Amino acid sequence: MEIREDRREPGLVVAVSGRVDSNSAGELEAALLARAGEPRLVVDLGAVEYVSSAGLRVFLMLAKKCKAGGGKMALCGLAPGVKQVFDLAGFTPLFTVEPDAAAALARLA
Amino acid sequence: MQVRADNTAEGVARVTAAFDAFAEERALSTLLIGSVQVVLDELLSNTVKAGYPGGGPGTIEATFEVADGLLHVTLVDDGVEFDPLAREDPDLAAPLEERPIGGLGIYLVKQLMDDVAYERQDGWNRLRLAKKLEDPI
Repeated sequence: MEIREDRREPGLVVAVSGRVDSNSAGELEAALLARAGEPRLVVDLGAVEYVSSAGLRVFLMLAKKCKAGGGKMALCGLAPGVKQVFDLAGFTPLFTVEPDAAAALARLA
Repeated sequence: MQVRADNTAEGVARVTAAFDAFAEERALSTLLIGSVQVVLDELLSNTVKAGYPGGGPGTIEATFEVADGLLHVTLVDDGVEFDPLAREDPDLAAPLEERPIGGLGIYLVKQLMDDVAYERQDGWNRLRLAKKLEDPI
């Protein structure tokens, strides 16, 4: 898994790639929760191969922390398999989900 | 294909790498590969974390096979008796604030696979999983 940050006004885009599983979730948690204070945070999952429940747990924690801090967050770029796991877990309605980072930033602006 | 590994994170990585090699050889779809990797992560990380409460070495074994239009995955371990199918499903309708963190893994396994069967035999947990090769969603 790799994580890259890109300041794109009016927000911050964190792009994740590779496999989000029990092996990589700790690193993702540290990177994302450190950015939970951003007023507009977009997590781009466009290059993610799959997300297991260890990863879902991180996104849920992030959503709760952003909400508690008054910031807005969105997810984007979910591949069909990733979208399927979010849907099965009942997570999709809990998040703002957009096709790509530009749409997500526009939605949060 | 059969792979045997230790009850450690490295052992889990060995099994997932073996599945990647098997999937490439059999030209399985990206969607199917993702589903199986999620299932392996849920089940094996759970076995490693909770299956050996007294510590000490253990063995996990995975078998991958394609037959009759199905992918068959069998996972075996010598940890404490644990039937993942006996767990209750989580409440998926709860609002964000009330969602418990975790508890979703086994539910995902049941949803992502077409068939899951558990048996305890001679001190081994044996989980047989099957997934249709076509129409993976």
